[in-house]
Formats: sequence, C-alpha cells, structure tokens
Amino acid sequence: MAILETQSLTKAFGALTAVNGVSLAVEAGTLHSIIGPNGAGKTTLFNLLTGTFAPSAGRILYDGRDITGTPASRVAHLGLARSYQRTSVFPAFSLYDNVWTAAFATGASWGGLLWRPADRYPEVDERARRALADVGLAERSGQPAREISHGEQRQLELAIALAAAPRVLLLDEPAAGLSPEETRRMVALVRALKGRYTIVLIEHKMDIIMSVSDRISVMHFGSLIAEGTPAEIQRNPEVRRAYLGGMAA
Amino acid sequence: MKRPIVLLLAAVVLLPLLVRPVIATEIWIFAIFGLGLNLLLGYTGMLSFGQSTFFGSAAYVAGWLLKHYAINVFLALGIGVGVGAASAALVGYLCVQRSGLYFIMLTFALNQMFYFIAYQWTSVTGGEDGMPGIPRPALAGIDFSNPLVYYCFVAALFLGALWVMRRIVESPLGRILQAIRENPVRAEAVGYDVPRFKLLAFVIGGAFSGLAGVLYAMLFGIVPLEAIGFVFSGNVLFATLIGGSGSLYGPVIGSFVFIWLSESVSTLWARWPLLLGVAFVIVVLFLRGGVVEAWSRFWTWRSSKPKA
Repeated sequence: MAILETQSLTKAFGALTAVNGVSLAVEAGTLHSIIGPNGAGKTTLFNLLTGTFAPSAGRILYDGRDITGTPASRVAHLGLARSYQRTSVFPAFSLYDNVWTAAFATGASWGGLLWRPADRYPEVDERARRALADVGLAERSGQPAREISHGEQRQLELAIALAAAPRVLLLDEPAAGLSPEETRRMVALVRALKGRYTIVLIEHKMDIIMSVSDRISVMHFGSLIAEGTPAEIQRNPEVRRAYLGGMAA
Repeated sequence: MKRPIVLLLAAVVLLPLLVRPVIATEIWIFAIFGLGLNLLLGYTGMLSFGQSTFFGSAAYVAGWLLKHYAINVFLALGIGVGVGAASAALVGYLCVQRSGLYFIMLTFALNQMFYFIAYQWTSVTGGEDGMPGIPRPALAGIDFSNPLVYYCFVAALFLGALWVMRRIVESPLGRILQAIRENPVRAEAVGYDVPRFKLLAFVIGGAFSGLAGVLYAMLFGIVPLEAIGFVFSGNVLFATLIGGSGSLYGPVIGSFVFIWLSESVSTLWARWPLLLGVAFVIVVLFLRGGVVEAWSRFWTWRSSKPKA
C-alpha cells in the first residue's frame, strides 16, 4: 500500500511552474528515489510534501489521509521527517541538543514544558542518543554543531531527521558536497536505514541511486517523465535524453 | 552554578549599605524587567524595542487600583503580572507575524501607540504629570513605607523571579526558544509552531515586565509617563546588552551597572549618558557577551597564566 501519495500536485511561483501535475505513490517500506537535472523541482516537491509551501493545486495523501495544506510544524508530528540539501542544524547547540530538540518535538508528551528540567525526559534522551549512535556521532555528542566538519554535519542533518522517530524519511541529497570516502559512508548509512523506514531520496549521483533504490521517479522541468525500477530507468530513452541533452538519443 | 547564587545573596545584603535603599530597590526592579526582556532577546533572538508597553500598562492599572481601591499588595502584583502578560499577548500576537527589522519596528510602533493613549487619557493617567499618590499599603502589620522593608520585599521577589526564570530557561521551553533563535526554519520542520512559541515567550516576558512595573510604581509612589515611553524600552535593552544577553545573569549585572551609573554619576556629571554610549560601543564592537563575557574572559586569562 502507498504510504505517501500525491495526486496532480502543482506549485507555481508566478509564471514559473516548479512542480507540474506530479502524481507519485511511495510504497511503505521501500526506498523511492527522485532524480532529475538541477531545477527539475525535486526540492520544491519536498517542500510541498512537508508543508513548507502549500500547493497551488493537487492533493497529498499520507497513510490514506488527505494532508494537503497541513503546516510544516504539524507534518512533523504525523511521522514525516526531512533532511536538507543545504545543512540546516542548530549551530550553537551541542550535537546532543540538536537531536534532543527534534526528539522532544515528537515525543510522547510535552508535560512539564515550562517547568521540568530538560534533562529529565528519559524517553527523549534515549531517542536522542540512539539517533546520534545510528549515524555514528555518539562520541561527539557534547561538541557544538558549528565546530564539526562538513561531513559530520551531513550526518547530524540525518540524525535530526531520525530523532523524530518518523515513518517516512525524506532525504534531500544527503551526500551533497561529500568526499568520495564520506559518500561511501553515507551510502552505507542510507542502506542500513532502508527497511526500517520508508525513504524518499533525492540524489544526483547516479551510481548511488542505481545501487540503493527500489523505485525511481524522474523529474524534468517540474513534471514526472518516467517511473520504474533502476533497470527500467536506465533503459528509458526519454530519461537519457533529459540527462544527456539528446546526444545519446 | 553555586557561585552566582552566593554572589547574588551577598549583593542583596550589601547593596543597601553601598547605595541609598531607593536606588538599591530600583536595581532589583530593573533586573526583573531585564530578565523578562532577555527571554525574548537572548534566548529567542527577538529584539523587542517595546518592553515598556507591558511595564507601563501594568504600573498604570495596578497603580490606579492601589490608589482608588486600596487593594492588597499581592493582589496589585498579581494584577500587574496579568496586565503585563495580557498586553504582551496582544502586542506579541501582532509582532510575531513578522521578523527582522519589521518585527523591531512593530514593537516600537505599538509602544508608541500605548504611550499616546497614556498621554491623551489624562483623566486616568495624569498625562504628562504622571499618576501620583500611589500608596504602599501595609500587609499583615509589615510597614512597606519603610524604605528598607520595601527593599527586602523587592529583593525577595527578585530572587523568586530569578528562580522562576532559571526553571523556565532550563525547561524544554528554554531549549525550544533557543532552537528558534538558532534556526527557525529547522525548528518549524522538526515540529514546533514557531510563531506560537514566540508568542509564549512574549507573554512570559510581559508578565515579568508587569511585575517590575507595579514594584516601580510603588517604589516612587507615581507612574511617570516615561514608564510607558520608548526611552524606558531602550534603557532596559541597553542594560541587558551591556550586562550580556547570552546568559541568565547578564540582565541582572546590566541593571546594576545601568542604574548605578545613572543615579550616582548623573549627580556629578550631567553628560553621563555619554559614558553609557561609550560602554555600549565597546560592548557592540568587542564584547558581544557584555560584562558576563568580560568576566569569563578575565578568568580564562588568569587561569591560563603560569603561576610565578
């Protein structure tokens, strides 16, 4: 069954239609990648799915429920968590406080919000520690986020999304700007998360996409031009034209 | 964590020996006012240039009730806290819709609006002459008209207010507000309704301002029109920045520096705001963490020096 579905989803910014009638179904438990050239509308699609922007037309269904127009702060509570293409963390916070903040938001209860010391939420603490351990940052938990390397910040970016204990992870180019070695580690990480979460992945690096995806959707100028398994996508002439500018066609 | 508490208690005891009790009292009142502002400024990253709106509104309402209905001191303080919080809810609701420069201008503009209401409504507020004749009614045989007794009362309330603020900033709310300061977009994405949390910070800050406003009115027996004016809003902002907006104790130290300078140096030298200006420039250019940062830098420097 599709856990996340869009029906003719459209977003226009003035004359520019960034996302144009996209109908997409993400099956629960799969890793579904979205690829496409720069400016194809992939990140805008994520912004629509997470409620950052309201769509101009179309619907978003999550777990069979219509969540179109739900604001971003509510979407997080439904079990959808995202990571950002451009690292977006809390710079002055320690790594632990970064993931704690995300874990508390979707925690079982906000009881004692104004009064109970923040270190007396054992359930939140455990979730925060597990998220850091999952991405391999457990030993650095006390360090401020602004002091760690770019590669580690990308891992933290992912840990913040994991700390929310989501059902669906939306990962926007988790390997952006990483060295080959760091990229290998990130791919291993994403592979380890596969199966535990439903993952929607935006990525540019084709070798990553082809090796980890269950299904791939291809966007071009805001529209979906193809969908299928990695093998089907590799054979698709329209995809090759979009990517190679017609030279291979 | 223990040392600041010991220093504070020592300051509470020693202050009335060093300066006149009225000044000493004003320092703690201004510190309560600063604590409220700093929840917005230091913790949430909202530069409010209109804190006197809540301070003044509470002073007028509670002052009027004290004067005409001789209400109980604690009731007056409770009403002040309520008026401070309610006016902050109203102002905050409008201001949190915007951020950056527009936010600052909105807090300022709404402050001016409240100021002109107080200025025009002379039958109640006394306009430019202020609202005089505010009593300090005795409570259970304790005579608050004695300056030292009133000092002790205010100092105790200040310590209580500081304790409450410490609980708040160490609670999840404190961390969420700082997360909003650090990265509002991500705070929203992980599941916090940012405008609503900003509004909550406003209301709490307003409650502290209200408490300070009523204590101020009872201290001087008058609510001057300036108590709701933008100069007052600026003063608490200066004091907090000079003390250090990055820490819980910054506004307390700032209040001490500001009130002490304004009351003691002003009698010697009429151009004293010049000193304040210089202090402010130094803070902005070299010491973004204010006095608190200067202090901690000094200690790091001392402990790094090899012992001779």
